[in-house]
Amino acid sequence: MSFISILSIEFKKIRRSKILPLFLLASVILWLPSVFNADINFKMQAEGILPEYNFLIQGFLGISWFMLPASIIVSTVLINQTERSNNGILKMLALPVSTTWLCLAKFLVLLVLAAAQVIIMAGVYYIGAAIASNIQDYNFILPPLFVFKESALLFISAIPMAALFWLLSICIKTPVFSIGSGFIMVVPSVLVINTKAWFAYPVSYPFYVITTEYSKLASGIDTTKIQLIPWIPVAFLITVFCIVLSCMYFGRSYR
Amino acid sequence: MGFIIECKKVKRTGFIPAFICAGIFSAAIPVINMAVRHKIYTSSAGSPVNILFNANWQVMAMLNMLAVVICACIIYNSEYAGNAMQKMHLLPVHEGYMFLGKFVLMFLMCIAILAIESAGIMFCTDYWFGSGSQVLYLVLKSFAYEMVIMVPAALSALFIASAFKNMWITLGVCVVCIFMATMLPMDNFILSLFPFAMPFQVFAGTAEKTIQGFIAASFIESIIIIIAEFLLIKIRRLFE
Repeated sequence: MSFISILSIEFKKIRRSKILPLFLLASVILWLPSVFNADINFKMQAEGILPEYNFLIQGFLGISWFMLPASIIVSTVLINQTERSNNGILKMLALPVSTTWLCLAKFLVLLVLAAAQVIIMAGVYYIGAAIASNIQDYNFILPPLFVFKESALLFISAIPMAALFWLLSICIKTPVFSIGSGFIMVVPSVLVINTKAWFAYPVSYPFYVITTEYSKLASGIDTTKIQLIPWIPVAFLITVFCIVLSCMYFGRSYR
Repeated sequence: MGFIIECKKVKRTGFIPAFICAGIFSAAIPVINMAVRHKIYTSSAGSPVNILFNANWQVMAMLNMLAVVICACIIYNSEYAGNAMQKMHLLPVHEGYMFLGKFVLMFLMCIAILAIESAGIMFCTDYWFGSGSQVLYLVLKSFAYEMVIMVPAALSALFIASAFKNMWITLGVCVVCIFMATMLPMDNFILSLFPFAMPFQVFAGTAEKTIQGFIAASFIESIIIIIAEFLLIKIRRLFE
C-alpha cells in the first residue's frame, strides 16, 4: 500500500469523531472574554502595545500555554483509542502494511488536527475582532498576513511537542499514565520559559515563541530575542528522535 | 458493596498510583518554589499560609483538576472498553449506585491527594517560616474547605465520563471545561460557581460570607449533578 492511501484511511478512521466542534468550542471560549473585555486593550500604555495587537496576542498567549498542548494530548487519545476499541489495531497490524508508514501516517493526522485547531482559532479571532470593533468603535481587525504569520509560528513551534506527546502515547500503554505524563509536562511550562534551559523543553516552545512575539510588538517591554542556536538544532533533534523511537515501538506491545 | 467492587475494578488501571503521583508532584510545587525564591516570600507580609496559597494554589489546583479528570476518564473507560457496561445492565445493580460507588472511591482519592499537599504546605511553613504547629489548624481548615469545593468538580467529571462512551470525548470536554475555568475571572462570585472553577478558590484571606456561599453552592451543585446523573441513566435507557 502506498503512503497516500494509508494516510487517507487514517483520515477516514477519525471522520466521525466530532473533534472539530470541540476545537470550535475551545476557540469560542478563548475569544469570548476578550470580546467582552475589549476595552482593557486601550489601557496598555505602560507596555506600549497597540490595542489591536494586544487583542490578538492575549488570545494567542491563552491558547499556547494550555489549550494547544491539551488538544494535542486529546488528539493522541482519539487516534489511539478509536483503534483499540474492538481490537482494530490488531487487525491493522496483521495486514501486510509497514508499521513505520502506519505510525507516520497517524503522526501526520495528529499534526493536521493541531493545524485545524490553530486555523479554527484564527477564524474565530476574525469573528471576535469584528464584533469587538463594532462594540468599541475601533478597528481591531489585523491584516490576514500578520495573523497567518503568528498562527504559522504557533503551529510550527508545536511540532516538537506533538512528536513528544505522540511518543508518550505509544510507549506508555496504560492510558492514565500516557495522558497524565503529558499533562504533568504542560503545567510547569510557564516556569520553564523563564529559565535558560527552555530550549530543551519542547512543551514550552509555543508559549515561548508567542511571548517573544509579544515583547517584539510592545515597545515598553525589553525585547527578548529568540536565540535560534541552540534552539533549532535541539528542537530538530528532539523531533526526529521522538518520531524514530515511536516508529520503532509502534505496535510492539501487541505482538 | 458497590464501593468494594469499584475498588477491585480499578486495580490494574493505574487509578490509585496516578492520584498518588499527582499528589506528590503538586506537593513538590510549593517546596520547589520556596527553595528557589524563598527570599521574596519570607520577606513579604502576611500569614505564611496565606502567602503559600497565593503563590502556589493556582498550579496545584490545576494539577488536582487534571488528576480528577484523567481518573474520571479511566474509571468509566474500563466499563465501556470491553462492553462491560452491557453486562452490568443485566445484573441486579442500579447504574446510579455504580456512579455513587465510583464517586466515593474518587472522593477518598481526593482526600488522599489533598492530604499529601497539606503535608507539603506544612513542611514549607515549618522549614522556611518557622511557624511550627500553630498554623496546623489553619492548614487543616484550608484543606477541608478545598475538599468540600472539589466535590462538584469530581462529580461533574464523572457525570461527563458516564455520558460519553469514547474516552477522548470525555477528556476533550473536561479539558475544555478546565480551560474555561482558567479563563473566568476569580473575583466574580457567580462565575466562580462553575464546578470546574470552584477548586481554584483559596480559603485563607477570603471573607467568611464568601466561604459560606461556596460551601452552600458546593452542596447544592452536588445534589443537582447526582439528580442529573440519575435522569441521564433513565433517559438513556429509553433510547437503547
